[in-house]
Amino acid sequence: MFEFKNIFNAFVIGVKAQRSLLYESCLTKCVLSYRSSSKLEEACDIYVRAANMFKMAKNWSAGNAFSQAALLHLQMQSKHDAATNFIDAGNAFKKADPHEAINCLNRAIEIYTDMGRFTIAAKHHISIAEIYETELVDIDKAIAHYEQAADYYKGEESTSSANKCLLKVATYAAQLEQYPKAIEIYEQVGTHAMDSTLLKYSAKDHFFKAALCHFCVDMLNAKLAVQKYEEMFPAFSDSRECKLVKKLLDACEEQNVDAYTDSVKEFDTISRLDQWLTTMLLRIKKTIQDEESDLR
Amino acid sequence: MAYPKSHNPFADDDDEEDFKPKSRGFDDDPNDSGMSDAERRQRYLQQEVMRTAQSAVDSSYRSLSLIHESEKMGVETAEELMRQGEVLKRTDKMLDNMDQDLKTSQKHITSIKSVWGGLVNYFKGKPETKPPPEQPNSYEASDRLQSALSNSRGHEDRYQASHPNLRKLDTGGFGASASLDDSSSSQNGYPKNKHLKEAHQTLDNNLDDMCSGLSRLKSLGLGLQSEIDSQDDSIDALLNKADKMDLKIHNTNQQIKNLK
Repeated sequence: MFEFKNIFNAFVIGVKAQRSLLYESCLTKCVLSYRSSSKLEEACDIYVRAANMFKMAKNWSAGNAFSQAALLHLQMQSKHDAATNFIDAGNAFKKADPHEAINCLNRAIEIYTDMGRFTIAAKHHISIAEIYETELVDIDKAIAHYEQAADYYKGEESTSSANKCLLKVATYAAQLEQYPKAIEIYEQVGTHAMDSTLLKYSAKDHFFKAALCHFCVDMLNAKLAVQKYEEMFPAFSDSRECKLVKKLLDACEEQNVDAYTDSVKEFDTISRLDQWLTTMLLRIKKTIQDEESDLR
Repeated sequence: MAYPKSHNPFADDDDEEDFKPKSRGFDDDPNDSGMSDAERRQRYLQQEVMRTAQSAVDSSYRSLSLIHESEKMGVETAEELMRQGEVLKRTDKMLDNMDQDLKTSQKHITSIKSVWGGLVNYFKGKPETKPPPEQPNSYEASDRLQSALSNSRGHEDRYQASHPNLRKLDTGGFGASASLDDSSSSQNGYPKNKHLKEAHQTLDNNLDDMCSGLSRLKSLGLGLQSEIDSQDDSIDALLNKADKMDLKIHNTNQQIKNLK
């Protein structure tokens, strides 16, 4: 009776999908269910097909159908299929209801970590973090998920993927003024990058960002940091970024806001400054201006 | 380009480093307009020269920014390639695991199929569980390229010192200056006019930056190329393995269906 109820529910959803094909197959399945022993499997199948039809019709309650299928799979103890269906549900919900999407993705991640499939769990942590970034704008939770993803990747020895997540964490942390965390990540990634043939060209970017974070905290820190980076990585001293930081340090020492603005403008003519850099540089400039007004 | 012209005698003949033509024209010239034809032409040519030099400087700034942009894109590509390389390595490992599992399942199937199969299994003995091959866990790009790069850098410095065009000769690109008076050559071939001098100096600096930027781009490109080549090879190997795996899985499925 219970199984029949499942089939019947699937039948109802199939009707809602308004596809005559599904209508007929649901009917036949209902009849078959009395004879066949694999009732749960059939029900799952029908749910998945109904969900796909919803997707074709761009009706995003496909997510519901997928979740139901996943729950049935869990009953049948086939974790893999359940997790896959939860992921499909999450993707379908992304377009309609972000919270529901996150729920489904979380459940899928639980199943995957249970099975020990950390890489794929990490990938979905990143998806969740992206939803928090864009739709639900909750930066703290996004950071938490990125960190979790980075930990899983590190556990699976995928350092590049881990570094990609960590860099995102650092960008947001610096924006939220959690400077020590950002500095630690940038230094770690920079040191790792400078040893590799291909990645060493990006090491100077990481050290530059770390130096700017130091600068936001305290000027002396920044000076010591720049010296340290030059020792570790000689190529850093030739880069335009290092020269810019040194000019900014000088301008800050002399409390000269104009020199600061000029060197920033000069740097901008050659390589455009992005949003993050502009925010950080403005913050530093404000500290110089505050000090100036204090002295007066 | 107006470079040889920038070293025109007009700029050197002026004793003062000023742009404005001197008013001495009044004494010599019968013309009433206050500026002789010659001086008008002189002024016009000076402005032309300045304009050309300025546009050269601007264009060099643009080229510099383009070079830096390409470098940035190359760097991002490199990071993506590294990540991809790691993924390929992991896929390879997974395929090996799958192979192991399939062998075990095959053994089970043969023992289920028939008693004779079970006996055969017993004689075949346990499939040796192949130990995972010793691989360095961290993914490293080819280090032959690394040594080649460091070598080439050393060579490059020596090359620059010996190549005549790259050396900062006194006469530089301004060959015409050699024939003029000594004072011009003592200024490293820069025209005496102050504005022009600044423009040329900026240009030289930018050209130096462009040179180092281009050499960085070159080594980045070479590194990317060797990385892509090695990844190509591993992709081919993976393709082969995956095909074989597909066949095995298909066979196993068939066998299980027949068991029913």
